[in-house]
Amino acid sequence: MNSKTPSPPHPLLTLLRLPFTLLFAVFSFINRLRANRAGFIGFLGLLAYFVMTFIMPHFIAFDGEVNLDEIAGPVGSRIQLAVHTDNAELRTFEDLAGKTVGVVDQTGGPSLIAPYADSINIEKYRWTSRRAGPGIRAALIDLANKEIDAMLIFSKSVEQIRADAEDAELQALFAERIVVSNPELGPPHLLGTDTQGRDIATHIVHGGRILILTAVIGGVISTIIALVVGSLSAMIGGAFDAAMTALSNLILAVPRLILLVVLAGLIRFENTLFLGFMIGLLGWPPLMRAIRAQVLSLRERDFVEAARSLGLSTYHIMFREMLPNMISYVMINFIFAITFAMYEQIALLVLGLAPIDDYTWGVMLYFGRSRGTLYNPDGASMALSPVLAIAFFQVCLVLFARALEEIFDPRLRAAV
Amino acid sequence: MSQNLPPDVALKVDDLSIVYRTDRGEVKATANVSFALRSGEAMALIGESGSGKTTISLALIRKLPKNALITSGQILYQRNQEVQDVLKLNSRQLREFRWNECAMVFQGAQNAFNPVLKIRKQFEDTAQSHGWRDKAAVRERALSLLQLVRLDPERVYDAYPHELSGGMKQRALLALGVLLSPQVVILDEPTTALDILTQRAIIDVLNDMRRQLDFSIIFISHDLSLAAEMADHVATVYAGEIVELGGVNDVFYQSLHPYTQGLLTSVPTLEHTQDLLQSIPGSPPNLITPPVGCKFHPRCAFADDVCMEDSPPLAVDVGGHLAACWHKDRLIESRKARV
Amino acid sequence: MTDFQLLDAGQDALEQALSPKRKLVPAPVENFYKNYYVRVFAQAILTIWAVLTVTFFLVRQMPGNPIDVLIEQILTQEGISYQEAYDRVAASFNFDPDATLFDQYLDYIRDLLHLDLGTSITSPGTRIIDEIARFLPWTLFAVGSGFLISFVLGVILGMTMAYYRDSALDHAMSLVSSFFTGVPNYIWGLLIIIGPGISWNWFDVGAARGTYDPGLTPGLNAAFIGSAIEHALLPIITYVLATLGSWMLSMKSSTTSVLNDDYVNVAEARGLKDRRIITAYVGRNAMLPLFAQLSISIGFVLGSGVVIEEIFVYWGFGHYLFQAITVRDYTSVQGAVLILSSTFVFSNLFADLTYGLLDPRVRVTGEK
Repeated sequence: MNSKTPSPPHPLLTLLRLPFTLLFAVFSFINRLRANRAGFIGFLGLLAYFVMTFIMPHFIAFDGEVNLDEIAGPVGSRIQLAVHTDNAELRTFEDLAGKTVGVVDQTGGPSLIAPYADSINIEKYRWTSRRAGPGIRAALIDLANKEIDAMLIFSKSVEQIRADAEDAELQALFAERIVVSNPELGPPHLLGTDTQGRDIATHIVHGGRILILTAVIGGVISTIIALVVGSLSAMIGGAFDAAMTALSNLILAVPRLILLVVLAGLIRFENTLFLGFMIGLLGWPPLMRAIRAQVLSLRERDFVEAARSLGLSTYHIMFREMLPNMISYVMINFIFAITFAMYEQIALLVLGLAPIDDYTWGVMLYFGRSRGTLYNPDGASMALSPVLAIAFFQVCLVLFARALEEIFDPRLRAAV
Repeated sequence: MSQNLPPDVALKVDDLSIVYRTDRGEVKATANVSFALRSGEAMALIGESGSGKTTISLALIRKLPKNALITSGQILYQRNQEVQDVLKLNSRQLREFRWNECAMVFQGAQNAFNPVLKIRKQFEDTAQSHGWRDKAAVRERALSLLQLVRLDPERVYDAYPHELSGGMKQRALLALGVLLSPQVVILDEPTTALDILTQRAIIDVLNDMRRQLDFSIIFISHDLSLAAEMADHVATVYAGEIVELGGVNDVFYQSLHPYTQGLLTSVPTLEHTQDLLQSIPGSPPNLITPPVGCKFHPRCAFADDVCMEDSPPLAVDVGGHLAACWHKDRLIESRKARV
Repeated sequence: MTDFQLLDAGQDALEQALSPKRKLVPAPVENFYKNYYVRVFAQAILTIWAVLTVTFFLVRQMPGNPIDVLIEQILTQEGISYQEAYDRVAASFNFDPDATLFDQYLDYIRDLLHLDLGTSITSPGTRIIDEIARFLPWTLFAVGSGFLISFVLGVILGMTMAYYRDSALDHAMSLVSSFFTGVPNYIWGLLIIIGPGISWNWFDVGAARGTYDPGLTPGLNAAFIGSAIEHALLPIITYVLATLGSWMLSMKSSTTSVLNDDYVNVAEARGLKDRRIITAYVGRNAMLPLFAQLSISIGFVLGSGVVIEEIFVYWGFGHYLFQAITVRDYTSVQGAVLILSSTFVFSNLFADLTYGLLDPRVRVTGEK
């Protein structure tokens, strides 16, 4: 040990210096991270997720209004007004006073036009009918023949309906006689609508917070248990070590799904976050094994031997000598534990084995799958949006964790 | 090949310069090194750590790190009147050249063997890669070599590396080194990291092997007693240059370079008393910006203005004893005065 | 014996005496249990028994009760009295629902010792062992081939990354491997269905369900094997995508460290052929740490099969387990857990025991 230890600075000075020290640490960390491009992308991605799931919900309201007219709309869907070429000046609901307007069931039109029922003649078309086939086509044919003056159309653009028309005659008819006079009657749905006509984009903004919190709780709990049990096992050894190793083997050997389902059933959830506790309580064994091995090998290292021969206490050795050597390893595994907790949580949700009280990405996925939107190209957004939200979040976490691994592990960094 | 070498020369290095490209600049690891190795002869390269001994030896089998660049020079190798330019071999020829013609026994034989393969397999791999597929013949040759290095041949041949002690591995590696009857064997610090008994054993084994098998040795060491015992010729390497080259007795007893002299007086011997023991002052120069003139002048007791301006040539004195120093006379005088 | 051999022997003895791992000769009484193989096998059996016991009591704590469900069914269908329905249900079970939980447990263990897994609760008369034999092979096939492909690919790509480290190729592959690892396996499954399956219409998602086309006779005929492979393809691709990244990265870091080892350098100086160095010197040593991971991943992948098989409607073991859980078929769940846990425990055991074949350094004592 160095005999000439510098005298400790005044406590107040340390306190004053602390914010700067922290700021400097953060800056130097970000600087090192920038050298690792993939890690930096992951870091920025996580920041973006934080803003989206924790800040944006305060400004964007959750769309809970069931609108059975607008079911399973594709990305970017909105209400449009189609008119006959001769009536191109008709643009707003006020212009439509006294006119006959066609609406098709399940396209959002009926509910949109309902407030104007007094002034506008409404012609309703079924979504499909045995006589006329697809309702939208029937309405468009009527519009082309001037039997109605305008028509509200949702989800598909007129161009697409023209392209879908079976024969060239019909295509030409639509092309010549129909224009979209007002493409922006209703609000656009950035990510489309779900099977209940609710805006998916707002659900994505609101659906991440609880999911991420649950995963973080799971990660924190499993990391803490792993750290405590792992290092105690290695330091104490003997019967305690044997018991803990056996317990970890047992937890690993029981299929996770069963354990979680049973525990989920046994303990009635007041709160989705509780799932995080469950996952954390069952997720520690792999990390515990790794930490136990680390502590065992650290114990044999020179600097720990030196500390021991200096007569320093076990407490000192653990917290002053060994923990600093493992902190980066634990940090990295903490992030991986979060990804794992996220994985398990969503797996349970997708299988419908976890409570679905909170409308999270996992629940969106569950409904998207169970309501078959997966198999409907127009409505796929209901399942695809949470899928991508989850996938990119996990990828950002992994990129970030790997960047930390490279920054902290001199072996990986110095490899020439 | 157009080059002609005297028939007894096995290896001739001419004007070899090597730099390492690093973030801080080019490290001039080896500068204008020339020497010749006759067949059957043992030559020692001595010098401090970082003096460039290992770089020279790695260049001989072209096993330099990726950031090394050979800026000048040639390495000629001759066997049976056939001359090869080592630096111009293509990758296939180079692979053939390695171990067949020139084997290198690395420093720290502890990890020189693949831990998952038996010693037998590693002998066979070596033979097979050089087109020798007859396993029985390989075995016979290997067993006789293992016997020669005083190992229990049957046991060692079928052992895994971890079942051997450090000294045993070193000797097994020596046996592997001469498996293909190379003409030149390079030994990099063959006795470092071994206990004193094992060191002794290795030296005896080496002497035995030289008596029975016909090969030249280049060995690198900072252990001067080993050099004195084994070498026919000694080259002193300082800051990437050969500063003195000559017969072992000439160099050790009639040293013509203050650096060699300094190395010799820094080694305790039975004859010298403690007060005569001195270390060389200062530290080896920075090879990114080496000193102008004689590179040794900042540490040299004899240095004057000439030394700071001009670098001394490696000039012949008597009987093929070369030294690069402006003040050989003063060195000899001072030695006479001390005795 | 020459003096040198004596010296060697002395050194060996010294090293053995100084080695901290070396234990004193075990007492004769403990000899049997001290035998490494006996000990690990006993531990494995003990672990499986513990898992079974925990599962037995846990599944009965699941919310919902299959007996009530079944009685309810019979009551509404046949309009008989409650007592009659109860008797019928009780008779169709292989255990007495009135017996205490502990007696049921003893019965279960007794049957198990006779290698009898019992019959299903919700579909009486179906032997669980037959059900497992019907579903398990499909999962083993899909998971096994996915695992093999991803391991081999991961090892090759990881070594490539290590050989070309810090090049653009390495950076691109690192990014890709992070992507593969980060995206959960069931998300890969959903992406495969939504993208190529539905949006781009590359294949018929509906037709890929099940394990083979209807109307084919299982057996060694080309049509059946082709169909089985076709149906397993999506799960296999999913397993490969989801596990490839971590193999790549593990292999890269372990190859990087092996490449810095002396023996690789010496092998090059020995003039060995590149292929020999890459396979026997670099590859073999770099793969050692991956084998330790292998056994744990097998357990994980088998467990995650439930979600994947549900997503692709692949009728394998995961599907069977999931069905059993949803209808609270206790005995079937127990049977499935027995298989899963044994697979996990024995694959670990197998890995431990065979590790010595790959790494001679742990072979001597059989201990790591």
